[in-house]
Amino acid sequence: MSASAQQIKNRISQEYKQGFVTELEANTFPPGLDEAVIHKLSTIKNEPEFMLEYRLKAFRHWQTMKSPEWAFVKFDPIDYQAISYYSAPKRKEDGPKSLDEIDPQVLDAYKKLGIPLDEQERLAGVAVDAVFDSVSVATTFKGKLKEAGVIFCPISEALRDHPELVKQYLGSVVPPADNYFAALNSAVFTDGSFVYIPKGVRCPMELSTYFRINAAKTGQFERTLIIADEGSHVSYLEGCTAPMRDENQLHAAVVELIALKDATIKYSTVQNWYPGDKEGKGGIYNFVTKRADCRGENSKVSWTQVETGSAITWKYPSCILTGDNSTGEFYSVALTNNYQQADTGTKMIHIGKNTRSTIISKGISAGRAQNTYRGLVKVLKSAAYARNYTQCDSLLIGDRCGAHTFPYVEVKQPSAQVEHEATTSKISEDQLFFCRQRGLSAEDAVSMIVNGFCKAVFKELPMEFAVEAQALLGLSLEGSVG
Amino acid sequence: MNTATASRYTAEYQTLAPTLPGQTLPWLKQLRCRALEKFSAHGFPSPREEEWRYTNVSAIEKKLFSPSLSLTTPPVDKVWLKGCQLEDAWSVVLVNGRFSAELSVLDGLPEAVSLMSMADALTASPAIAPLVEKYLGQAVNYSEHGFIAFNTAWFTDGLLLHVPAGQVLAKPVQLLHVVTQAETMATTRTIIIVGEMAEAKVIETFAGVDNSYLTAAVTEVFIDQNADLTLYKMQSESEKAYHFGGTYVKQGKDARFTHHNFALGGLLARSDILTDMDQASECELNGLYLGVKRQHIDSHTRINHLKPHAISREIYKGVLDDRARGVFQGRVIVAEDAQKTDSQMNNRNLLLSDNAEADTKPQLEIYADDVKCGHGVTVGQLDESSVFYLQSRCIDEETARNMLTFAFANEMVDKIRIKSLHDKVLEQVLLRFPQEGIEKSWL
Repeated sequence: MSASAQQIKNRISQEYKQGFVTELEANTFPPGLDEAVIHKLSTIKNEPEFMLEYRLKAFRHWQTMKSPEWAFVKFDPIDYQAISYYSAPKRKEDGPKSLDEIDPQVLDAYKKLGIPLDEQERLAGVAVDAVFDSVSVATTFKGKLKEAGVIFCPISEALRDHPELVKQYLGSVVPPADNYFAALNSAVFTDGSFVYIPKGVRCPMELSTYFRINAAKTGQFERTLIIADEGSHVSYLEGCTAPMRDENQLHAAVVELIALKDATIKYSTVQNWYPGDKEGKGGIYNFVTKRADCRGENSKVSWTQVETGSAITWKYPSCILTGDNSTGEFYSVALTNNYQQADTGTKMIHIGKNTRSTIISKGISAGRAQNTYRGLVKVLKSAAYARNYTQCDSLLIGDRCGAHTFPYVEVKQPSAQVEHEATTSKISEDQLFFCRQRGLSAEDAVSMIVNGFCKAVFKELPMEFAVEAQALLGLSLEGSVG
Repeated sequence: MNTATASRYTAEYQTLAPTLPGQTLPWLKQLRCRALEKFSAHGFPSPREEEWRYTNVSAIEKKLFSPSLSLTTPPVDKVWLKGCQLEDAWSVVLVNGRFSAELSVLDGLPEAVSLMSMADALTASPAIAPLVEKYLGQAVNYSEHGFIAFNTAWFTDGLLLHVPAGQVLAKPVQLLHVVTQAETMATTRTIIIVGEMAEAKVIETFAGVDNSYLTAAVTEVFIDQNADLTLYKMQSESEKAYHFGGTYVKQGKDARFTHHNFALGGLLARSDILTDMDQASECELNGLYLGVKRQHIDSHTRINHLKPHAISREIYKGVLDDRARGVFQGRVIVAEDAQKTDSQMNNRNLLLSDNAEADTKPQLEIYADDVKCGHGVTVGQLDESSVFYLQSRCIDEETARNMLTFAFANEMVDKIRIKSLHDKVLEQVLLRFPQEGIEKSWL
């Protein structure tokens, strides 16, 4: 090992920056899950009757299901009775009306994370919904959005204020019985964002949700529902972090996107949950179901994700291309280091005519991590002239990690064109030598090569996120060179 | 899983066991018993198993096939058989899963080379029987899946080919499996051993007269250090037949293995080609599947890079028409130690009809970092600009499409290095094209 590589080794002690815990009084349910917990949850949230029934139905179905074992990840069975299903910072009255009323400690926590909740700050062009454990603590720029007719609020608020919209769309893309974790989420989801963009409106600013797990021994069950009505356009960003703890915490989210005729939804994620320590202890289990339905003609959904955190990621943002001429895109960078495991990819289901999909997936595996791309491209008989292009590249750093590619291609339509390409390689000595010869340190060289490798995905991210993602990538890779 | 089917076979096994070869050998008897237990517990593979996701064998489960009991060769249409048999090769013929000495041609086989039926090998001289004991079940375990367990318990005969170290076979060896009886199951087990620095070309041909029957053939191949084996598989079963054929290979250091898989026949056909590669070995897998009517053709390959510096190349092409369904599942595994692995896999599919379907699942599983691995898949149609090019040269559209489709398939046929086999395969492939479309003079 060269001297510079050694220096890099020494620097890995750099900690997960978002790993702090905010000490505050919280209202937390005792661990355990039964129908009584769901009743209590629904009451606390003041939900309409149909929601309680929805939850109970999902819960009863969940009890008959088995935890899936097909993914390329290993973990001990989760004890669902040891998790607390609700935790919210204590409020003075019944909820803050303005930012001044939010617990200053919560505000501080967000400030520390670089997500200022006051509207004058740096991220002035972005409206933020901040979800802290099980509740949304603040949503910024509500007024400005209202002017444009955009509804952007926590989903529990939407359930009270716009029950008809929620009732119409909730579970229409990811039905409660879809899979094990979706069923669990449907039963116990606590908060998340709700977005409705009315006909013909181009959302005046980027919308963003920041998820933060703070309390110990809890699970976070977020639910996001985005509806883009005819001819509308929205770009939505999602970020997430959690404190460093030795035990594993469960994050089981469901995200549903619905794009009607001529609508466009762009959904970007920078996932930076606590990945566990170098020995693979602790970290978040990120078991997420994300799916978009391009219902209308010419609709478009684009998923962009940068996955650097979580001990285990199990996530397949998918597009159901129902409408004719609809488009689905999936751009992903998944980075695993140390003992992280990621099994991620996408599903593109072509139903409408002339539907197109693009999949660009970049997997980077370092340390002892296992990184898997798993994708499905399915072209039904109705999808005449469907087109798909898939490219999955894997980069291996270190000789004890694994990179796997499991694409599934099912075509029932002769006019469809489906292409899939995958490569796996490592950073070659030649490339490194070339950079070092021009005066770059080994670490900078690797970072540059990796960034180049991911460029096709990063260019899809909104500006602020792209910068963050690049920095994150550099940080997560530290210590893996040499 | 259908255990009812399994138990029907198990019940029948008790009465038929005495007719199976090797009953006097305790090790084999035990092996068959364990395999039968496994089969009666799990039955044939179900689509719930990941490796069988796209292939549902319930049609096989609904029937009860029985093995041929007669040790004398039934009458076979000689003209038809001649159409399958290669002239310039040593050929061994199995009829309905039983060896036929009278139809086999073994003149001039070098003495050092052993080529005989499995039944004979098990009772043969003290030199051969232990060889079978040493190798049988070493390249594939009966617990791999239902068909292997089924084959291990039931094999009625099979072949043994042993090419000793340093021997280069002057002529190819053809292992010809034919089925003439309806509702028969031909369960055969073949072992091919190629000694150090030896070289051989083997052709496995599967054919049958127009009946519904089941072929469940398992071939185990051992290629020693620096040896070279080219194995051709020509599957042209009857269009009502069910076919399972598995080839399981162990490659030694620097060993070379080339496999050509032509899957043309059968109503439901599945082939497994699995190879374990040692240091600096090479393997090349070529395949062509042509599906028409209601055919379901599944090709399943697994290349296991266990040691460094090995090279693998794989290309499978499929042309699917009518209501045919083609399945390709290819997997490349690179173990932690297998640095400097170089692996390429390709699968190309042409869909010609609205009701045809292609399902493909190429997989890479990589645990070493200093490797070069890639795979590519396409499913689509002929290139429109190529069609246009031909049309602009006064070739009508239908002919142009036929020419291009034929050329797509012919690339695989042209890889055959044995003239007589090449011509036979070409003849079969041409049957799939309208005569007026493809003129022989082009070839």
